[in-house]
Amino acid sequence: MKARRTNALIWGWTLFVLVAIYLPIVCGALASFNKSRYFGFPIKVYSTEWWSKTIDSIEIGMIVKTSISVALLVTLFSVVIATFGALAFARYDWKGRRLYQKLILLPIFFPQPVLGLAMLLGFNAVGIQTSWMTAVFAHMVWIVPVVTLVIAIQVYGFDASLEEAAFDLGCSRVQVFREVTLPLLWPGIWSGMLFAFLLSWSNFPLSLYTTGADSTIPEWLYAKMVAGYTPMVPALGTMATLGAAALLLTGGLVGLLVRRRAAA
Amino acid sequence: MLQTLPAGAPGAETPAAPILQLVGVRKTFGGFTAVQGIDLDVREGEFLTIVGPSGSGKTTLLRMLAGMDTPSEGNITLHGELINDIPPNRRPTCLVFQSLALFPHKSVGENIAFPLKVKGVDAAARKARALELMRVVRLPEDYFDKNVMKCSGGERQRVALARAFAYDPEVLFFDEPLSALDYKLKKALEKELKDLHRETGKTFIYITHSLEEAMVMSDRIGVMRAGRLVQVGTPEEIYGAPVDRFVSEFVGEVNTIRVKREADGGWAGVDVPGRFTLAPPRDGTALDEAFVVVRPEFMRFLGPGDSADNRLEGIVYNEYSLGSRIQYQIRVDAGAAGEKVFLVELSRSRALPPGTDRAVTLGWDAADAFTLGS
Repeated sequence: MKARRTNALIWGWTLFVLVAIYLPIVCGALASFNKSRYFGFPIKVYSTEWWSKTIDSIEIGMIVKTSISVALLVTLFSVVIATFGALAFARYDWKGRRLYQKLILLPIFFPQPVLGLAMLLGFNAVGIQTSWMTAVFAHMVWIVPVVTLVIAIQVYGFDASLEEAAFDLGCSRVQVFREVTLPLLWPGIWSGMLFAFLLSWSNFPLSLYTTGADSTIPEWLYAKMVAGYTPMVPALGTMATLGAAALLLTGGLVGLLVRRRAAA
Repeated sequence: MLQTLPAGAPGAETPAAPILQLVGVRKTFGGFTAVQGIDLDVREGEFLTIVGPSGSGKTTLLRMLAGMDTPSEGNITLHGELINDIPPNRRPTCLVFQSLALFPHKSVGENIAFPLKVKGVDAAARKARALELMRVVRLPEDYFDKNVMKCSGGERQRVALARAFAYDPEVLFFDEPLSALDYKLKKALEKELKDLHRETGKTFIYITHSLEEAMVMSDRIGVMRAGRLVQVGTPEEIYGAPVDRFVSEFVGEVNTIRVKREADGGWAGVDVPGRFTLAPPRDGTALDEAFVVVRPEFMRFLGPGDSADNRLEGIVYNEYSLGSRIQYQIRVDAGAAGEKVFLVELSRSRALPPGTDRAVTLGWDAADAFTLGS
């Protein structure tokens, strides 16, 4: 009797949390299928008109391209820097490591709008024209620490004697890295890549200050909410969310398949 | 089957030349001295075991031999060539790690063939050699593609060994690779390792904290304590002629009595009352104070008519079965010092009738005990 009540409570709470998290997303998606220009529930006439308009829009095409370019470059640079950063963070013992561990984590806790503004002022001070390329740098200031931490967890999980053994069996330092370190860090690097891409893809406050004349998806959504709302806003928002979800799902599946094959 | 080194010149009567030579090797970490001045000649083809308690510096010594640490002082030479600063990947030596350090992302075959891959041997030759080595270490052929993490402890041991052989080193180092295994498997692998040593003719240097393990496998044993080699000798020498109490106690449980010389030249007990007959110290030094060390298996119970060089009266208060042997703990009245416990080990066939709290007379002969100065 008591167990059943406990069970019911657990299920009820779980359901509530799920609804609280996912209902707004569903609302956004529904709003994008509203034929009317103005938002309002219940929706009187459904239509895919705004989805086709969004897909056909040249302006949105450019914005999506900007977002993808920023996210891809951030992913590439962040993962390379973070992989070596994580080895310095978690593997090697060196003077100043503790200070480094603290300094590298600090940007994660900075308020992002402040960080963005600071970087805009910094770019101006040294005379760099802001564009989506400066946004890549700005995103990295925040994302490299996160990815470093993600990969460092993987570094902590593997036995340093494996590298020593490879070195002892005749490997050069480069061969040790290629044959042992990199393959064993791969799961961490893979999740670090997903983190980097998705965090950059959805970032608003840093982009707002540092993209200059260019615009990313979150910036465009915000601008159109402030002035000039059409259901293209929730349509693009839903597309961006679906894109992120698809990436995450593919990433997870690839990881699973690789692990399966390795375990065979 | 294995590429072995040419043995010493045919017909040579002299013992094999040292393959590895250590002269005054020291290692300090900051203010801490882990290894303090080791001199050692390792003969080509021998199985040398370094034993010592944890913290005695044996792992540091091994890491210097393998090239993972450099000596702070002193010289390590291989075939007469100074190798202090040669990194491990350019030394013809190979270390089998305590953790074995098998690559979890590679199969059994890939692990074994790894050193060959690094050398640039082509895939077909690699596989052939790996399969050959799997036969040597008694691994079934169909394990070639098996995930190494799915192998049992004993199988992993064999993979690690085969991988080390694939590197074709002149000297193999072992850092307690058997310590994580259960007793029975450990015993079996100790014997296999000794067989492999004989079959391959390679020089093996093995470190362990277990003298029992060292006794089974080694041609020679070096006992380490606080960064120094206290004694180097054959298992018989270490067991039968320990240089000090530390070595004697390391070999197994012992009974120790402190004695001092009396005016008449005889010996009197310090921590147990009585007079004792001692064999002279093996190194011939004249001592005024000494320790008598008697192994439990050299102690016996004396009946009414039995004689022995030395005897003590005591009370049995515990007995333990050691399988084929039985160990007794005997309390001996030590006067002002209270009581002293002695151990006696007998084979089961000569056991006392069961029951404790019985008065007994212990006896041993002077020739079965060691007289040690420290």
